[in-house]
Amino acid sequence: MVLEVKNITKNFGGISALKDVSFSINKGEIFGLIGPNGAGKTTMFNMITNIYEPTSGEIIFHGENITGIKPYKITEKGICRTYQNIRLFSQMSTLHNVMVGGHSQSQSGVFSSVFRTKAQRTEEQQLIKKSEELLELVGLLEHKDTIAENLAYGQQRRLEIARALASNPSLLLLDEPAAGMNEKETDSLYDLIKTVQSRGITVLIIEHDMPLVMKLCDRITVLNFGEKLAEGTPEEIQNNEAVIEAYLGKEEDEVDA
Amino acid sequence: MLGEILNTYYLQIGSFILINIMLAISVYVPLSSGQLSLGSAGFMGVGAYTSALLTIHFDLPIVIGIIAGALAASILGVIVGIPSLRLSGVYLAIATLGLGEVIRVIFVNWDTLTKGSVGLTGIPQLGREILEFARGLGFEPAMIGIKNNQFVFLSIFIVLLTLVIVILWFVVRQQNSRVGRALSSINQDDKAAESMGINITYYKVISFTQGAFFAGLAGALFAHVIGYISPADFSYHRAVEVLIFTVFGGSEVIIGSVFGAFFLTLMPEVLRFVSEFRYIIYGILLIVLMAVRPQGILDANLLKKIKIKRSKGGVR
Amino acid sequence: MLLEQIINGITLGSIYAIIALGFTLVFGVLGIINMAHGEIFMVGAFVGVTTTGVLGWPLWMAFIAAIVVTSILGYLLERFTLRPLRGKKGVSHLAPLISTIGVSILLENLSHHIFGAGNKPFNTPFSEISINIGSITVYLVQIVIFVISILLMIGLTVWLSKTKAGKALRATADNLETASILGVDTKKIIILTVVVASAIGGIAGILVGMAFNSVSPQMGLSMGLKGLAIIILGGMGNVKGAMVGGLILGLSETMLVAYGDSGYRDAIAFIMIIVILLLRPQGIFGSKVSQERR
Repeated sequence: MVLEVKNITKNFGGISALKDVSFSINKGEIFGLIGPNGAGKTTMFNMITNIYEPTSGEIIFHGENITGIKPYKITEKGICRTYQNIRLFSQMSTLHNVMVGGHSQSQSGVFSSVFRTKAQRTEEQQLIKKSEELLELVGLLEHKDTIAENLAYGQQRRLEIARALASNPSLLLLDEPAAGMNEKETDSLYDLIKTVQSRGITVLIIEHDMPLVMKLCDRITVLNFGEKLAEGTPEEIQNNEAVIEAYLGKEEDEVDA
Repeated sequence: MLGEILNTYYLQIGSFILINIMLAISVYVPLSSGQLSLGSAGFMGVGAYTSALLTIHFDLPIVIGIIAGALAASILGVIVGIPSLRLSGVYLAIATLGLGEVIRVIFVNWDTLTKGSVGLTGIPQLGREILEFARGLGFEPAMIGIKNNQFVFLSIFIVLLTLVIVILWFVVRQQNSRVGRALSSINQDDKAAESMGINITYYKVISFTQGAFFAGLAGALFAHVIGYISPADFSYHRAVEVLIFTVFGGSEVIIGSVFGAFFLTLMPEVLRFVSEFRYIIYGILLIVLMAVRPQGILDANLLKKIKIKRSKGGVR
Repeated sequence: MLLEQIINGITLGSIYAIIALGFTLVFGVLGIINMAHGEIFMVGAFVGVTTTGVLGWPLWMAFIAAIVVTSILGYLLERFTLRPLRGKKGVSHLAPLISTIGVSILLENLSHHIFGAGNKPFNTPFSEISINIGSITVYLVQIVIFVISILLMIGLTVWLSKTKAGKALRATADNLETASILGVDTKKIIILTVVVASAIGGIAGILVGMAFNSVSPQMGLSMGLKGLAIIILGGMGNVKGAMVGGLILGLSETMLVAYGDSGYRDAIAFIMIIVILLLRPQGIFGSKVSQERR
């Protein structure tokens, strides 16, 4: 078990964004988190990465309770995420964005940086090499010196994934990675996520693109109004009456249109 | 021959420019991690008074006094920096401005130690100490054809220039490293930086404290260059002046701080012929600059263009 | 004795409150700190000195003159320093801070040229008139200042809550984009805000002149810094907070001077805000929301 979410509840000033939600993710899985807008999906990501602390409940990662520890420490433990609204370091180059992602994988401090010690230079070389590999993986190596905000939208989304991968996570959280992508870009995103999975990284994904979710995920949890509505394989979810009523029927119309 | 070239007036202005560059960098470094600190004047004052008092009352060598002054300012920087992390933007600016005012008022009121608003006189002067030291080694300024006071001003200038180069070297190296990338990522999006595994508390305190250190160092040097300090030297006006160096020159790149301090220290000297109106011109200059070029004179784009032009010229 | 100090404190505090109102209005609507507000206020004070002292006008005409001059200054400030920065790409929050500092340097030095460096007395026909109630002495000037301040605060509160322009201003302060979608002419509202804030500064200038019987080009700075401290004390952009914050500062300064070490008088404002910022960063009356808007 990579991640166990146990009875998570989150209240924002009397309104429950999440009510007693539990699920667990196995190693190597691609796990989907779906539901209509406002169902609490991104809130769940914010609970796991502790951007907000849950009102009650626990997050267990590799058997360790990580509820309430600092976000940067959660990253050090091996969880990294992307954002629904892209949050790159927009004034930095593509390469430097990925290198910041590798922060937790390196340790040079002020002293060794200023004096360029041998260890620091070696580390910097390795970080550049690894970052370039990741840029190649997401198809952005030729843009490595481009300032992030000048990248095309789909490229920015892929850069966010590369940046998250640079922290060497065992669990990658993707928040609507296909949003705003055309069909071709979505296809290459599918390949990318599959490659990530083949490297032994577990993936938790929020996505509205149903065909992609159904094709990609091993298992899916459906949230509705902050509560867990269903969980199962894509087939089970597609045939679940409650899900169809609450969400899929309506959403598929949109997708088809 | 050297004696004819060396103009003590120019050397003195050069020294002031160098001290102001240090101060501008003390604003630039915290700003590079998104912290607008207006405490420079206060930290400068702590550095100046610490060093001055230690050298006057305990006869400590100037070098020790200067180091102690810079360290005292950075310790205060840590003490203030940690709670200030909860503040951002204008809140931090006003709180640090307030800190500077509180420090100034303490200098004014702690009569027994600081001599109040009259200030401290008879602070050992850096140039004279260097001259004595050189004489102790059997060196006389006349040996290289310059007068004693020329040697004094020249030695101060060289010491300051060396220090500024070391500081620039330090900051640039730090910037182009893991630490610098962390600072810059915090500046651009602190939440995203934190979720990339960056301990933003640590890096913010580091950069805030470095700023305090540079300001304290500049203050201590200022005291030993001028030989006389009073609370008025570390007032609101100084804090604003230093902020303007950085923002005018361009707060995104370190060379902006250097340029801003250089240009704006020199300008009042150049504008002497309209001395009555120079602050009015200064005010108008700021308004126009912000309207036309809010990022300051120098920014990354402009530097890139200059570089490209130069490398093209080099090929020809 | 204590009662007399309280009266002094309230008089001073009501002036502080009015200065802070000017800062808080601009911050509430535009989200920027107008570093030139103190100098606009100083200009108001000089208009008062010139009209009553040199021209011999009655006090009420001095007020009108100060309001007119500072309103015009407010308009110019908005037109030439704030508007060029608005909506421009790549403008950091530093830019308006610096350009308003530019205005403050300009105004301070202009007044220095025109009026000279020293303090100018501000004589009112009733400056020596006082009322004795038991052992307490109350000066008529204090009563006038207090009444004008209260009227101004009530007037502003009513204007903000009851009139169409006031409501539009509050809507704009709440959310500029939403207000503009709802049909509020936000450009006009922003001009109005800066002009009203400046006019209030002008009135405050005359009141300070009357209270201290002295006006100088440097007064803008010290009062401006206190105004800044007060809006942090009371919560940025919060009108009620500015009023209460002003009173608290006025009273504590007076008490310190009367019963403590008067040398630290100018530091109190900042010691208070440093403590407040650490305990309650959104200010005494600030809401969490206003904190997020910063």
